[in-house]
Amino acid sequence: MNYVIAGYSIVLGLLFLYTVQLIWRRRRLHRLVALAQSDAAAERRDEDGP
Amino acid sequence: MSPQSAKAQFPKAQSPKALWTTRIIGMAAVVSVAFTVWLGLWITPPDKTQGDLVRLVYLHPAVAWVALYLAFGLAAVASLLYLWPRTRSLFWDRLAAAAVEVGVVFNVCTLISGSIWGRPTWGVYWTWDARLTSTALLLILFLGYMALRRVPADPEVRAKRCAFAALFAAVDVPIVHFSVLWWKTLHQGATVLNPDLSPQIHGSMAWTLLLGFVALTLVFLWMLLVRYRIGYLQDQLGTGELDTAIRQRQAEGVVPAAGSEAPGTPVSVGSPLASVAQPVEAAPVSGVIR
Amino acid sequence: MWRDTLLMVGKDLRIEARSRVALSQVAPFGVIALVLFAFALGPDRSPMAKAAPGLFWVAVLFSSVLAIQRSVSVESVDGARDGLRLSGLDPAGVFLGKTAAVAVQLLILEAILGVGVVLLYGARMNSVWLAVVACIAGTIGLAAAGTLYGALSAGMRVRETLLPFLLLPVVAPVLLAGTRIWQSALAGGIPSQGTPWVRLLIVFDAVYLALGVVVFGPIQESA
Repeated sequence: MNYVIAGYSIVLGLLFLYTVQLIWRRRRLHRLVALAQSDAAAERRDEDGP
Repeated sequence: MSPQSAKAQFPKAQSPKALWTTRIIGMAAVVSVAFTVWLGLWITPPDKTQGDLVRLVYLHPAVAWVALYLAFGLAAVASLLYLWPRTRSLFWDRLAAAAVEVGVVFNVCTLISGSIWGRPTWGVYWTWDARLTSTALLLILFLGYMALRRVPADPEVRAKRCAFAALFAAVDVPIVHFSVLWWKTLHQGATVLNPDLSPQIHGSMAWTLLLGFVALTLVFLWMLLVRYRIGYLQDQLGTGELDTAIRQRQAEGVVPAAGSEAPGTPVSVGSPLASVAQPVEAAPVSGVIR
Repeated sequence: MWRDTLLMVGKDLRIEARSRVALSQVAPFGVIALVLFAFALGPDRSPMAKAAPGLFWVAVLFSSVLAIQRSVSVESVDGARDGLRLSGLDPAGVFLGKTAAVAVQLLILEAILGVGVVLLYGARMNSVWLAVVACIAGTIGLAAAGTLYGALSAGMRVRETLLPFLLLPVVAPVLLAGTRIWQSALAGGIPSQGTPWVRLLIVFDAVYLALGVVVFGPIQESA
């Protein structure tokens, strides 16, 4: 039974860790996109400004 | 026209339908996995011959199926669709890449779960069993694809290269399968009794097995969707990501007292970067650069 | 297409004949591999003799990576690759020509290594013709798959490290089949056991030759 529990925990654990990594990567990319968009918006405001 | 906004293409926001599809699939995946674990570890009875070890059957064949057929098959088909001129679209390339990465994870799970099942069954963690060997070789082929993908290149060049690599590997898979199978069975000396990992399944065990397949397929789908999205965002940000990251660093250390020049900025890479060294002074600086 | 094939074969072999890189670098590498295997397996020759088929084919596989690298790098200088594309040569012919040139070099190497294996490991050959058939069939497959991957990685700076990683897993069946056939060809082996493996090698060759003929053109365009 120990082997079974080890098997389940490793497999599900790996899948869980990968899930976390995916969510983290997606969140980081969303942040970068938001940053890039706000910078571009700021630049566009400068173009219209002076 | 600022060179930066000319370069950066902003990714389309995910449509609410796509967002909710992903969320629902994710929730269904979690629920079905939890259910499978509950059924597999507690409710179902142990096997006559394998005892409690049979419980691994609810996970191992399912991850194997996802890794080898679903993920790899999808990657191969998507690569073909990219190569076919009429259906060429970076969508297929990104889908293939996502499928391969998720497939690698599932492949590792397959090898580990098979190895853990093998230890009490065969006495060793690894044996050159036909299936383990083929799966290991497939993992190496998958990893090769991922390594190829990391080589910096134009998106279309990279897509074509990777699609060809996937095609060459896919074509090899049946040959590898047969050669490894024959390797075991056509061997001169008789192979020692090598108990198969497939037990006879009936009743509640059969349902749990089916549930396991469904659950892990849902997990795969969710991972695929998220990984695809990640790939899409990465491609759209492209070089803009580096600029943005540098800007982020500089914005953290901004002291809004400097003049219209961009004094002492660590970045002298190119004008688009210098123009936003100090967000507060953006107007005069960008005027200077332009 | 065949005319272009002959042109390419002639060009690559002539370059080799003049520069003698394969002969002076790839072949010694194969021989060194054999010697290192001997050190690894101990002074007693019997484990070596038993492992001889496998060791031979592993040495061939590693050497083929070098041969493919060489075949790709002859065109990486002076814009030769672009010149090749502009020349109007049929890409299928280019592919077959390069494959054939690599195959010829590898076959010569295998002859040397075969002699080495017999001398150094004390392996005794029962049916030489079966071993030769294995070499020819295996080499064609190695060269075809290698040329394809070489073309794929032609433009990359990391080609040296990436090419082996990409190519070697794909040609694992050649190693399996070649070893099995040689095992059946050595003293103590049953020749008929090698026949299904010869068929496997032929399938492998056919698949990668066909693939190369069809796909080499599009690959060249994206490199």
